[in-house]
Amino acid sequence: MKFSNLILKNIFRNKSRSILVVIGIAIGVAAVVGLGLVTDTLSESTQNALTAGAADFSVINGTNTGNNGGSGSGGGFGNEQFVNQTSVGEIQQISGVGSAVGVLRTMTNLNNTNSTSSTSNSGSGSGFGGNFRSMTSIIGIDSSSLSMDNIAITNGTVFSNSNQVIIGQTAAQSLNKTVGDTIIISNQTFKVVGIYETGNFMDDRGIVMSLSELQNLTGNTGQVSLILVKATNGTNANTLATTIQQKYPNELSTSTSLSGNNRMNNGLQVISSGAWAVSLLAIIIGGIVVIVTMMKAVSERTREIGVLRAIGWSQKRILTMIISESLVLSLIAIVVGLAIAVGIVELITTTHLLIGIVPSFSALLLLKGIGVALLLGIIGGIYPAYRASRLSPTEALRYE
Amino acid sequence: MNNIIEIKNLKKTYENGTIKALNGIDLEIKKGESVSIIGPSGSGKSTLLNMIGALDRADEGNIYVADNDLMQKKDLSKFRLNEIGFVFQLHNLIPNLTVLENVQTPLIETSIPDKKMEERALEILKSVNLSDKINQKPTKLSGGERQRVAIARALVNHPSIILADEPTGALDSKTSEIIIKLLLDIHKKENVTLIMVTHEQNVANMAERSIYVLDGKIKEEKMNTPTGINI
Repeated sequence: MKFSNLILKNIFRNKSRSILVVIGIAIGVAAVVGLGLVTDTLSESTQNALTAGAADFSVINGTNTGNNGGSGSGGGFGNEQFVNQTSVGEIQQISGVGSAVGVLRTMTNLNNTNSTSSTSNSGSGSGFGGNFRSMTSIIGIDSSSLSMDNIAITNGTVFSNSNQVIIGQTAAQSLNKTVGDTIIISNQTFKVVGIYETGNFMDDRGIVMSLSELQNLTGNTGQVSLILVKATNGTNANTLATTIQQKYPNELSTSTSLSGNNRMNNGLQVISSGAWAVSLLAIIIGGIVVIVTMMKAVSERTREIGVLRAIGWSQKRILTMIISESLVLSLIAIVVGLAIAVGIVELITTTHLLIGIVPSFSALLLLKGIGVALLLGIIGGIYPAYRASRLSPTEALRYE
Repeated sequence: MNNIIEIKNLKKTYENGTIKALNGIDLEIKKGESVSIIGPSGSGKSTLLNMIGALDRADEGNIYVADNDLMQKKDLSKFRLNEIGFVFQLHNLIPNLTVLENVQTPLIETSIPDKKMEERALEILKSVNLSDKINQKPTKLSGGERQRVAIARALVNHPSIILADEPTGALDSKTSEIIIKLLLDIHKKENVTLIMVTHEQNVANMAERSIYVLDGKIKEEKMNTPTGINI
């Protein structure tokens, strides 16, 4: 008989006890992986929104500070004032500016069943009038400048005329639209010609059309929400942003990705700390469950351990047996814990409790989950194993 | 040296010296001898057996077993594995393992290959007439059968000494006789030294020599005839 066979037989000897250990460890794994999935996805998405794309910073109305978080158009668009579109051309002429692109943003409440809607641009202050979770962002930008907003077509083509739009992949799912379908916005029918992805969960919930069309649709002709600016090679983006701000005092304001990053990072750190606190609590609870259960398992087998010592088993062999049992249970718990974590996150995303969050699994997160399980297995097993190995054979044999 | 066990002035106390379990034991046992240790409860007979089996260490004195100085030896588990086969009163089999697996448990600690391990266990089980029960769990066996499995487990590592602590204590008289005869038969065939602790005089008389222990000391020694009549 192999030693490994004996370990496996011992594990399945008391199924309810083993299930309890597996659940204890699985809770820890599920907490770490599940919460990690959400926070990692949020972090990744936010980082994409802030740092990706061609734009180095954005220029907004000088009286609208604090809302626009980043260089992409994913910044704030609530209660903002517009920038005159003529500023786009002026900024383009400033030394050090590689390109400047005007973007108009608004929010709309699209009805999923008939796809009819009415836009309510943010400039009118009614952009957040409805339930935010049911709002869809509409972005107006020239088709040739999509890369400035980090928009990449994953299916179909870019819009080429005023009656065409492209929609974000999350919006496509929630609206059940694909290339070739039509969508009605403000009583006007648009053909979906492409699906795009930005990596920013907010923008992926949106619809993009030509700037002029959105200006017409919202009655904001000649106005943009923000200007995306890309510095030329060798030009410091922060210096350029300061130059632009100084040229338009009290009129325009700039927001670099760096400052946006800092603000977002602070927020993400709070989310991440909260997630770790919950995970730690789950790990502690799981650890206690494992230790108590393994202690009980060892206690129940005291006499048996005494017999094994009497027939010649070494302390090391007893230690190895108990820790191995704990580790095998940890391996089972890894599978269970990962299944619980992925299941819950999938359930949350498919039921749209977290709109736009597409879980992104990483090897690091997987390793964290495995690490937690093995740690709990070792911590939970080592003390009972140590106690078992130190048992005096005569005392163990007397145990009733 | 013809003696497999030599004990001189062995002492063991418990409860900070208040209980004198062994109070100066002197004993010599020859290789291949069968000896019964008899005495009332608390006389120290099981403690003496535990000292010989290296399950516990004495406080004072000398104890040599199979050329091992047990007062000095560090790795007692290896000594037990190589030299001692234990048979307990309550068989102490592992309930979730089959008869065959139970018999193999001492061999897990050795480097014997799995196949050889199984062959040896099957051979021993055949010698105790349990070949037809190898895949059964101990809970499905009678008391006598369980004790025979325990004897097989004690023999599987070919020990030089079998230590049986009240091996018939939980058995009826008929089964007791069968088990003692089996132990004595193995003792003769394998030329293995047999030491039995018992409180039953008729069982004690079946060994070649009986030692009477009282208050941690050997009070009397008797040679027995093969028929169980004292001489």
